[in-house]
Amino acid sequence: MRAMKLNERSVAHYALSDSPADHAGFLRTWGGAGTPPTPSGTGRRCWFVLKGNLLFSFESREGRAPLSLVVLEGCTVELAEAPVPEEFAFAIRFDAPGVRPHLLAADGPAAQEAWVKALSRASFGYMRLVVRELESQLRDARHSLDLHRHSSWKAIPSRCKPQASDHWSPDLENGYSLSRDCSPMALVEEGGSRPAGRGLAEWELQGPASLLLGRGQSPVSPETSCFSTLHDWYGQEIMELRRVWLQSAQGSQPECEERDRP
Amino acid sequence: MRYNEKELQALSRQPAEMAAELGMRGPKKGSVVKRRLVKLVVNFLFYFRTDEAEPVGALLLEHCRVTQEEPSGFSISFLEDPERKYHFECCSEEQCQEWMAALRRASYEFMRRSLIFYRNEIQKMTGKDPLEQFGISEEARFQLSGLKA
Repeated sequence: MRAMKLNERSVAHYALSDSPADHAGFLRTWGGAGTPPTPSGTGRRCWFVLKGNLLFSFESREGRAPLSLVVLEGCTVELAEAPVPEEFAFAIRFDAPGVRPHLLAADGPAAQEAWVKALSRASFGYMRLVVRELESQLRDARHSLDLHRHSSWKAIPSRCKPQASDHWSPDLENGYSLSRDCSPMALVEEGGSRPAGRGLAEWELQGPASLLLGRGQSPVSPETSCFSTLHDWYGQEIMELRRVWLQSAQGSQPECEERDRP
Repeated sequence: MRYNEKELQALSRQPAEMAAELGMRGPKKGSVVKRRLVKLVVNFLFYFRTDEAEPVGALLLEHCRVTQEEPSGFSISFLEDPERKYHFECCSEEQCQEWMAALRRASYEFMRRSLIFYRNEIQKMTGKDPLEQFGISEEARFQLSGLKA
């Protein structure tokens, strides 16, 4: 009986699900909390799987139930001395009082380094930091593109503010798809392997061309419109260009429906 | 499955994305609605008795679905058993919408997908991989292929 409940069945299901593992491999482990000490002190060899900010251990690679879970929040990962020689050890240390470090060891120096790197970047906060940086860069890139397009137009009144980036969030819930519409995420997924990046010059060439091809002028006059309206309008154009590109890349109409997922 | 409660308790004390007193009812048949302090911390939803410092329980919010329930509540269920729902009651429709929006974006997997989406958009617009400047462009956790797994 435990003082605190956890949705363990769901956690175990997530551990075994098809969502990507960020790192996996055999590690030797010594006396984490709740682990009975091994008589010889040689530790126990388990299969470890890192998924997001969660580190799971299994009896074997084919294990069907996780033995243990470590939530990698509020911790640091450091090299450490192993209880026995020739082990490549590291420790997961928590800031919280009364929590003993998890001591683990890899089979070699390369594996040790790979684990320390992967575990050091596993926290939710780290991922959020990167996401926010990319959101900011995407705003800057779109802003640069917009400025270039209408550099010959009159200045836009400074009182207008760029729209928040919320509407760029992919419309997937926590692992579920909200709908079968042709969403940006669906298009991205259907792109297959990572496409070659497009230079800004390509956009410059296509922008005027698409205007000439009769997509029509901006629905509002630049003199009277605020930046966010123009921003949205150009955003639509970019979405259209990407759709056209994806079609030509695949040689056929892409599937708008997302595939079913396990 | 072994886990260290102290580690989770420490996590529950970290600053919350959202916190409120809500009515909560567990999935077991015959459960009654109880007043709980509910805190969203990274991808975990902790719930406390209103007068206690340590959480009664926690939900890992991966592979979950958040559904609106009448009159002003919502439920959380998980992929492996969608009928097994945790019910929450809010003070108002507005509060309910706020909680549902936050919970739907709470998972690590959602954050991962957002990152991959932004990375690809930036690469298409600029021709450069934005993760290269951080030296992390090869990391497994940031790859598009992960979405196909």
